[in-house]
Amino acid sequence: MKEFNIIIEICGSAGEGTISAGEILSRFMSGQGFEIMSFDSYPAEIRGFGKCVAHTRISTNRIYSPGKLADVLIALNDKHSISQLSALKENGLLIYDSQPPRPHKEDKSVVGWAKPGMISYGIPLNMLAHKAAGNARGMNMVALGAVAALLHVDQHGFTDSIKVRYGKKKQIVIDSNVNSFLEGYNWTEKNIKKIDPHSFKGMTPSKQKEKLIINGNQLVAQAALVANLSFYAGYPITPATKIMEILSRELPKHGGVLLQTEDEISAIGAVIGAGFGGKRAMTATSGPGFALMTEFTGLSVMAEVPAVIIDSQRAGPSTGMPTKTEQSDFNSAVSGGTGDCPRIVLAPTDTKSCYEATILALYLAEKYQTLVVVLLDFFLSNSIRNINIPEKPSSKYLDANIAPDKNDLKDYQRYKITKNGVSPRAIPGTPGGMFFSTGLEHDVYGRPNYSEAGHLEMTQKRFAKFNTVLSEAPAPEISAIDRDEFDIGIISWGSSAGAAHETVMSAQKEGINASSFSSMMVSPFPEKALIEFADKCKKILIPELNFSGQFASFATQILKRPVERLNFITGRPMASEDILQKMRDM
Amino acid sequence: MKKNDLYSKEEKLFQDKNKIYSAQSVKQIVYSTDVRDFGQVAKSIPCQDACPAKTNIPGYIRAVFEKRHGRAYELNRSANILPGVLGHICSRPCESACRHGEPDNGVSVGICHLKRSCSDLKSGSHRIIEGLYAPTEKKVAVIGSGPAGLAAAHDLSILGHKVVIFEGLEKPGGMLMYGIPEFRLPRDLLMLEIKNILRLGIQLKTNKAIGVDISLDLLKNEYDAVVVATGCVSPRKLNIAGEDLKNIYNGLDFMKAVNEGQKPLVGDKVIVIGAGFTAVDCARSAIRLGASDVSINIRKTIEYMRIDETEKYEAQFEGIKTVSLIQPSKIIGNGNKVIAVEFQRTRMEKTDTPPYRVSIPIENSQFLVPTDSVIAALGQTPDEAVVSKDLDGLDGVFAAGDFATGSSDVISAIAGGRKSARAIDEYLIGEKRKQTVVRLENHETTDRQRSYDFIGKVEMNTIDMEERLSKATNEVETGYNDDQAHEEAKRCYLCNLEYEIDPLICIYCSACIDVAPKDCIKMIESVPVNSDGTYGIYEETDDWNNVVSIAIDNARCIRCGQCLAVCPMDCISVTKTELIEIDT
Amino acid sequence: MPFNDHYVIIGNGPAGNHAARTLRKKDKDAKITIISDERVPYYYKPKLTNFIADEIAKEDLMVNFLNSYKAKDIRIRLGQEVERIDSESKTLFLQHMEKINYSKLIIASGSRARVLPAMSRYANHLKFVTSYTDVMAVKEEIRKAKDFFIFGGDLVGFKFLRLLNSMGKTVTILIYPNAFWPYNLTDNMLAQITESLSKFKVDVIVKDDISIIDDKNGLYRVKTQKGIEKNVDMVFSFNGLIPNIDFAKGSGVDIDHGILVNEYLKTNVDSIYACGSCAQIYNPSIKSYTTSIGWPNAVVQGEVAAFNLLGDHKIIESVGRKYFDLEGVKIKTIWWEDIDDEV
Repeated sequence: MKEFNIIIEICGSAGEGTISAGEILSRFMSGQGFEIMSFDSYPAEIRGFGKCVAHTRISTNRIYSPGKLADVLIALNDKHSISQLSALKENGLLIYDSQPPRPHKEDKSVVGWAKPGMISYGIPLNMLAHKAAGNARGMNMVALGAVAALLHVDQHGFTDSIKVRYGKKKQIVIDSNVNSFLEGYNWTEKNIKKIDPHSFKGMTPSKQKEKLIINGNQLVAQAALVANLSFYAGYPITPATKIMEILSRELPKHGGVLLQTEDEISAIGAVIGAGFGGKRAMTATSGPGFALMTEFTGLSVMAEVPAVIIDSQRAGPSTGMPTKTEQSDFNSAVSGGTGDCPRIVLAPTDTKSCYEATILALYLAEKYQTLVVVLLDFFLSNSIRNINIPEKPSSKYLDANIAPDKNDLKDYQRYKITKNGVSPRAIPGTPGGMFFSTGLEHDVYGRPNYSEAGHLEMTQKRFAKFNTVLSEAPAPEISAIDRDEFDIGIISWGSSAGAAHETVMSAQKEGINASSFSSMMVSPFPEKALIEFADKCKKILIPELNFSGQFASFATQILKRPVERLNFITGRPMASEDILQKMRDM
Repeated sequence: MKKNDLYSKEEKLFQDKNKIYSAQSVKQIVYSTDVRDFGQVAKSIPCQDACPAKTNIPGYIRAVFEKRHGRAYELNRSANILPGVLGHICSRPCESACRHGEPDNGVSVGICHLKRSCSDLKSGSHRIIEGLYAPTEKKVAVIGSGPAGLAAAHDLSILGHKVVIFEGLEKPGGMLMYGIPEFRLPRDLLMLEIKNILRLGIQLKTNKAIGVDISLDLLKNEYDAVVVATGCVSPRKLNIAGEDLKNIYNGLDFMKAVNEGQKPLVGDKVIVIGAGFTAVDCARSAIRLGASDVSINIRKTIEYMRIDETEKYEAQFEGIKTVSLIQPSKIIGNGNKVIAVEFQRTRMEKTDTPPYRVSIPIENSQFLVPTDSVIAALGQTPDEAVVSKDLDGLDGVFAAGDFATGSSDVISAIAGGRKSARAIDEYLIGEKRKQTVVRLENHETTDRQRSYDFIGKVEMNTIDMEERLSKATNEVETGYNDDQAHEEAKRCYLCNLEYEIDPLICIYCSACIDVAPKDCIKMIESVPVNSDGTYGIYEETDDWNNVVSIAIDNARCIRCGQCLAVCPMDCISVTKTELIEIDT
Repeated sequence: MPFNDHYVIIGNGPAGNHAARTLRKKDKDAKITIISDERVPYYYKPKLTNFIADEIAKEDLMVNFLNSYKAKDIRIRLGQEVERIDSESKTLFLQHMEKINYSKLIIASGSRARVLPAMSRYANHLKFVTSYTDVMAVKEEIRKAKDFFIFGGDLVGFKFLRLLNSMGKTVTILIYPNAFWPYNLTDNMLAQITESLSKFKVDVIVKDDISIIDDKNGLYRVKTQKGIEKNVDMVFSFNGLIPNIDFAKGSGVDIDHGILVNEYLKTNVDSIYACGSCAQIYNPSIKSYTTSIGWPNAVVQGEVAAFNLLGDHKIIESVGRKYFDLEGVKIKTIWWEDIDDEV
């Protein structure tokens, strides 16, 4: 079967059903057996007239990144879509409302700005929505109908998807949406003579196993539940709120407790408290909240209490751009806080690995009695993928506390010096397992101790955990290209890794010999593997979504050689087109 | 603007404002003679305003929708005494004005087709309603039984006067009988509607031509008043050499001959000169007489032809060519028989006075077009041989219809006839007995569904070419059936229902603006008042600080009812507005 | 603020494009916009038949590279239909409810396939090869089909007939004497054409008319008034072209069959010019209005309209031959041109 790959964007104003149209499209395409990735952008303001874009990539092959430029732009709102035209390919299709209720002033219609080479199809979206349901609410469905007709998509399957989407609503809502879709479909089929080549005809990927259509936040919540999370404390913040929202519903059903605190300081305090009590506990936040938690993170490390923080990064500093993605909390996650404060940082590279990272985080925190930070970002939190239903973790990951045995309890040393830095941990209430716990430097019993030797010994003990923890992390992903030498090696982390990997494939087609490297565990970092990889590469390129190249600086210290940096702070996810362009210039 | 002006209508409707709050709670009817209400009716019901007879178009279309065809017929007949006839051949000024035909709204409602429907579809046992006045013992002579004469005779008779019609030809109906071809207007229908008028006791004397069989002076003496409604019967001439050759007809004579059942010799190739309905009727009749190559030749461009799109289409369908920007300069004969017309090319020029665009012959641009016959359908002027049309009515002689106004159309002639009947009545009685008022009535529903706005025009059923040629009198259009009429009636916006937002209740939530199908609901700063007291075009603003009211522009409103459905305050009222005649 | 003119050109064919280029050459500062209801940029319409025959690729149909518009700073609005013109306020109303103000306007909207009212009842079954969009829709179908019915005739029609013949298709043609509108074929010419068509494998029908075309199991049944019946895969109509001028109705611009312009290509409204096949041009030498077709005419007229719009007084003259060749019959014309000619 031919390879097929198309990116469809729907652009509208908040409240026009832009996002739900994108969702229906993704669900339907996933049901048809396509790989999908969708990523919506919307204004930070809860209600208003801001710009929403639902971006969906549909492919017969594995998708690594959302892609930069769209093949199809559906303009539900002219004003916002004019600015969105820059994200449409030069030969892209523009679908616009050809009969809006009110006249445009000169140059206020999106079609007026379509570049020659783009093909614009005018569909009376508003009018057909009125025709189907008596009001303009169904414009998004009319537009989907138009697209389905233009791209030769099976209309019956699509209407079934709409019925499923609105299945719980009143019949009139279902009917209005289905009728609007059909109105758009039939009108387009009858009136538009298609001249573009895009078509789903003959594209019927083999039906795969049932897929889960899910975003990173949902997967984090799901993973936390399967990994026996029993306590969550948090304060809502975009883009992490969804995790708390789901857990608030689901956690009590699993016998857990969710506490909404007055702020993030309190939240991490409660999490550490629960961890001290032997419960698996976590919180989720974003950059500004993470900054507030920083002081408490030291306590988790110093008192060796398990704690998990999910930090879904957004553009900063301060409140920054709440709905824009960025990878700029690297430094504060890896090295923020007071003192010599080793912690584990995991940065999942795609939606699916959000699940793995969360389970791993709860496991490692418990086993190594320390702080684990999981670095998501707005894109990973919100982009939707269809993935295979994730497997349940093995029992090893569900209960990892190294409890003191009888011998230990004879003279219980909570902070006993061990080879791997992990001391048997007694849960409060364990007979004979009493101990001191404090943020002050301490001796093996936990009693305050400021001696030179003691501080050194304890610091070494805390860092010793790093020696073994690396073996618990998944091996770094290196794009499997069977060569010993590469012109360019791309080192990436977090959500940029997908684009980097995709770039390697398109670079090969252009004759650029490249490979890519990424690791989910970024602290401690698999330095040996990185150096091994870099030694095979003539040049190193590090693309990331921050201004100062936080990871590149970090990697340079390891590699001790100059690297090329590629930094974007556009608020959009990394695009392989941009990396490739940079590689051409190198 | 005074704030009070905005509310004046509510005040009229609900004089006791303390008691009446919601428009839905009370049914109250107001008869208004306020100039603003007349202005508003004219502006917001454009079809009715465009109709010379001021037919209550939304009213009768609603009745057709309700399948009350008899009621629809009577609503028509109260403005125009020949509804069935006009339903076939009206020049349809209403359809050009119809809001459904405005840019972005689609195609005008088939108002005329619906008029025909109510005549075609009314029950076999339909009864005519006449509001008869007591006899006045006054006698009125009506000269001419065309549409103007018939209308005048009917109304005078209603008003209690004794009426006698004098008709110069053998049959009544004037142009309707002799000018319009039978394939457009069946004669049994015409006669039926004429008889419906005559049965009021009107005496019809045919073959009594004024000035020939009977003198005006005699009538003046015998009758209390005389109406001259002889129409326009003197054909305009080409005024070019060769005009008197054989096989050259003037349009009216040609149609008259055809309508009398004669078969004027036209030959194969026919040149029709003229740009009006008559020219098209002549051309289409020539086709039915066996001509194979018929052309309509006009001085200006097709755009300026005085016919509607249906006529253009039908003519083209029947294979008639239109040759524009030419005018005849000479007719060439062989012996006394025409063999060719010499044409001269023309070009368009502007003038500063009406009609603003004229055609100017181009010098030395002559060329010959061979032909077997020529029909000159240049229109007619009143025959003023017997009586001058400049009548003041003082000695009891009145002019009506085309005779008074010059050549126009049937619906104008009917309106003219009615108008003169009122003037004569006032002359005979000494006072006005009827007046027109605006009837305002609270209306509880919108009577419409949004889906109606998306129905395409129901095309008229027609017969195919073979049938048209098999018998020249076969009627081309066959009318809507019951369902088609119902469907087409749905399309009418019902502009007689006026939507209004009560600014005292409105909370400016703009929910209505969100659902508006077009720019019909506006945030306004002020409403200018015209010199005649009517409201002008709303002045809009985007700045909330300047908004004095959210208002529905009834000239843009398509009466979809969406605003009514979403208004959380129930502050939008619907008022049914009608022009009606009442006794003074 | 300096005032820059906004020249708007309706139509993206040879006339419109050459007008735009000329305007840009002469006026560096003006805003220039081309509006076209077609969704593709400037292409060679005469080559559409070659494209059907796979003699050329789709890319070869395109005249300009897209960036030449950018280089010349000509804004191009594709797939946008002008609905009406208000010449008083110099405003164009586009079908998608956008209003555009112009200071000078050139109408070069070209023409479209003529469909007579008599054809309306079977119009759904007719195919055309008048525009890029038409051709995209039928190309594949033509390749698969075997039996064709052509009715009308006209220049493109005969070209298409030769093409089908070379592709080995079975063709029936019904020649309409008036298919060459505004020109009518005489009986004599008709006979000569029929004679010369005998060298092709084609059924010729003359002096007859279509009675009915209906759709049966994917085949079209064509029945003529004289009772000839054919079952074919596709029916094509070639009945000449009529100017695309509906949007100009009611604008105050005089229109007849086309937009009426004087010998300077100016309409009766000062700021509006027309050129190409949508224009009906006054020709002082024959004292009559004429319509033109063909690429070279359009090019020259586009340039002349632009010059005159900028204040010149160039009189338009016909270019090329005064005859066109229809299957060996020379038809004398004033403005007609074999549309194979290209710049």
